[in-house]
Amino acid sequence: MSVSVHCPLMRRLQAPRPTDIIAGDSMDQLPNLGRELEMLSEMGLKSMDELFEDIPEDVRRADPLPLRDPQSEEGILADAHRLLGANIHLDSRPSFLSAGLARNFVPSMVPMLATRGEFLTSYTPYQPEVSQGMLQAMWEFQTMISELVGLPVANVSMYDASTAAAEAITCAVRVRSKRAEQPNTVYVSEKVPPHRISVIRNYTQGVGIKLVEMPHTSSGLLDLEVASKAKGSCAVYVEQPNAFGIIDEGLMRLRGIIGDSTSLIVGVDAVSLGVLEAPGNWGADIVVGEGQPFGIGPTGGGPIYGIFACTKDYLRLMPGRIVGQSKDSDGEIAYTLTLSTREQHIRRHRATSNICSNETLIALMGAMHMALLGPEGLERLAMRTAAAAQETMETVLGIDGVELLFPSTPIFREFAIRLPISSEAALERMDRHGVTGGFDLSRWWGPMKNVLLIGCDERTSMDDIRKLSESLEKAIKEGSH
Amino acid sequence: MTTLFDFNGAPSSGWSQPAPIREDPLSGIPVSARRASLPRWPRASEPELVRHYTLLSQRNFGIDTGFYPLGSCTMKHNPRLNERIVQMPGIDRIHPLQPDHQVQGLLSIYYEMQEMLAICAGMDAVTLQPVAGAQGEFTAIRCIQEYHRSNDQAHRNKVIVPDSAHGTNPASASMCGYDIIEIPSGQDGRIDLEALKSAVGDDTAAMMITNPSTLGVFEKDIAEAASIVHEAGGQMYYDGANFNAILGKTDPGRMGFDAVHYNLHKTFSQPHGGGGPGSGPIGVKSHLSEFLPSPLAARRERDENDPLGVDDGYWYFWEEPGSTIGKVQQWNGNAGAVVRAWAFYRRYGHELERMSEHAVLNANYLRHKITKPTPSGNHTGAFTEGAPASVVKHEFTLNMTPLKEQSGVTAKDVAKRLLDYGYMAPTLYFPQIVPECLMFEPTETESKEVLDKFAIDFLEILSEDADTLKTAPHTTFVKRVDEVLAARQLILKYPFE
Repeated sequence: MSVSVHCPLMRRLQAPRPTDIIAGDSMDQLPNLGRELEMLSEMGLKSMDELFEDIPEDVRRADPLPLRDPQSEEGILADAHRLLGANIHLDSRPSFLSAGLARNFVPSMVPMLATRGEFLTSYTPYQPEVSQGMLQAMWEFQTMISELVGLPVANVSMYDASTAAAEAITCAVRVRSKRAEQPNTVYVSEKVPPHRISVIRNYTQGVGIKLVEMPHTSSGLLDLEVASKAKGSCAVYVEQPNAFGIIDEGLMRLRGIIGDSTSLIVGVDAVSLGVLEAPGNWGADIVVGEGQPFGIGPTGGGPIYGIFACTKDYLRLMPGRIVGQSKDSDGEIAYTLTLSTREQHIRRHRATSNICSNETLIALMGAMHMALLGPEGLERLAMRTAAAAQETMETVLGIDGVELLFPSTPIFREFAIRLPISSEAALERMDRHGVTGGFDLSRWWGPMKNVLLIGCDERTSMDDIRKLSESLEKAIKEGSH
Repeated sequence: MTTLFDFNGAPSSGWSQPAPIREDPLSGIPVSARRASLPRWPRASEPELVRHYTLLSQRNFGIDTGFYPLGSCTMKHNPRLNERIVQMPGIDRIHPLQPDHQVQGLLSIYYEMQEMLAICAGMDAVTLQPVAGAQGEFTAIRCIQEYHRSNDQAHRNKVIVPDSAHGTNPASASMCGYDIIEIPSGQDGRIDLEALKSAVGDDTAAMMITNPSTLGVFEKDIAEAASIVHEAGGQMYYDGANFNAILGKTDPGRMGFDAVHYNLHKTFSQPHGGGGPGSGPIGVKSHLSEFLPSPLAARRERDENDPLGVDDGYWYFWEEPGSTIGKVQQWNGNAGAVVRAWAFYRRYGHELERMSEHAVLNANYLRHKITKPTPSGNHTGAFTEGAPASVVKHEFTLNMTPLKEQSGVTAKDVAKRLLDYGYMAPTLYFPQIVPECLMFEPTETESKEVLDKFAIDFLEILSEDADTLKTAPHTTFVKRVDEVLAARQLILKYPFE
């Protein structure tokens, strides 16, 4: 038999598929459909069933899967339009919902290049000789994250900000616990969003890490006097800006307060670092955060990517993949995954983390976005965000009955206001006016019934702010029920 | 090649941004908190960057550029329809904290996927929140941990894994605080029931196992293994990495499992994207469902006061399981991956078993082409099969030890030489129980012609002289990369200074 290896398509055209075997429209994914018998007979087999004879009778499924009929590409696309079209998306109206994710603008170049098949359909670059493109792009990503946060080492991404924070804590405990006066103890700001705390608890509960809440003052700032108790513990985890959007300048003094033997882990809003000092420059050992504002829309909560950067002290005990520069056998510069002996596929149960698949493609999108921005573009992005938040805040404070939850604290993207009605009612009414007015903070902290978290971004316009203000005023005038 | 940091043009953004809406954008930012110097990011225009990333992409191998038989990773074709759909604002521009009535479409897709995945695995409830296979494992073991605690069985502190298991299994259980007992595989690579019997006890929390095994063979004793673990009071966890082999033919529920994770980035064609994103939903039997992460998509019949929603007669909403472990990812998982997998599922519907049939057909066909004696016969002494089996499932392994003994050529050398022929290398040195292991998984989306050609090329490589292989690859973007040097010099970012 002559095997036509150079032009399989021609061969196929000469031997069309028998139409009676085509069971559904799905079959366009199966190149060997209709040629099963030919392949089976070469193996000395007669039926597809023989391929599954090793499955014992008692565990075999007898009946077909009770699922819907196969659909054509056209049919699926139509259903996708119908179902996803039934969602009210953030760009269809003024929206002030952020609470950890940004309604960002993603440059057109980013999805177009990131979905090139060479990137999109590659696996983890285990074979560096044919993966230089992704490896170099990730090395460049590491560099940009390192520069952004002011720390020398960054990995190629965690799942999201919350798992990055959780694994930063377990990493810090691995580094510090043996010599800590308070072993296995980590102090965490009490105002970290509960969803993130929940992730942190799941990641720390089994390995004996004790989490101690650090209180905030009535101004919404971390209580630095109480924070001094964290001295001698393994780590402190705080966020800048915090969950109320506040820029807490006191955090920049934490290093001096907790001493050098306790790890300082800082969660950041990545965009804010266009105007705020990099935490690595005020003593942070590990910086984590949500990378999503660079590279991708909020996408229903994922895929997004977590940032993880640290000092060299944590390098050998940190989670995730790392790309290093090396040379090939000709002495040319080449890139490869490195320090893999930390990882699960080698170290198994003694690995620093179970992470295997990460968010590389989204990190690639982030890298493209960051590269397009450049240093001055980043600063402008942050300025636009800060300007929008300042303008929005000043405008809504002009509404009767609206006051800041924490007056006279500086903010970056978000701010919390107290309303004369419940924020749940306010949001429902604003929604009817076609405005997504923010986030009801009682969903995170029950007693905050009347507190609304308003979030802005670079795209917040004067028109958006006017509509928000009008609808909020109207909602309040409808009175409390 | 040029790096991003060689671009250092004028201080302007690579694409235009409007001005801030105020002239004093930083009026609210305290001076003492402001950044002293900007990050040293590149200064490049869009045309420069488009070329940079296009050139980088051309130095990368993907399924789109060639056959990718990477065992255990199920590198099947990624339908482009799925990428088109996730660009829609109804998913790209959705915030996970939006109220239910704004996301009826997404909720209905979540609900449909939860139901579909439960049916496929013989489970009672599914969460789509875990964002990778390893996170699915971790989540399921957390649920099992809470189940034991709620039954006064908190003393159960051991998780059993076969020595052929994926490394994530022991790593995930260890992150939950469990001690790991690794049991040896039998002579044929299958589970050793005697070893299992002596490993279980009053301290057994769970066993984690994949079936078919990482050798690509079906564990015929799986039901008995499950009853050994159950009788000891433990739970059975199914690593779904190899689910592509059995979908529609059997399911973990029938085999006796209590929990399972799915890899939407394997079985359901979410692109791997150079290492992620993934999506690792888990399914559980009813006794574990109350512990699942929160929230799950739920529905009730729509009443007349409800808005139309997606007009299918139901109203969808997020619901918190009664004794939930809380969150493992901050939001609702990788919704974009769920939507892609939904589009993939819709192509096949109840015909999903055709997919598995063809995955198994292709694996057996390739195995036959590689291992059958040929007239020239010069390869036959180069390898043995990783595990004896009349038929394999979706993948198979070769033990390249004979070749190494003959000529000093390692499995890695063969893998590197395959790169020269335009193929991705198979999985290397895994599972660790097979020495000099190469693990092949062709998937259902490769044609007979590709498999024929690959077998010919593979056998040809085995007959090449040892030096050619030991110094391979020769025609790739770079020659063999020095991994030891990378770990020694640790240049992990651009050296600006």
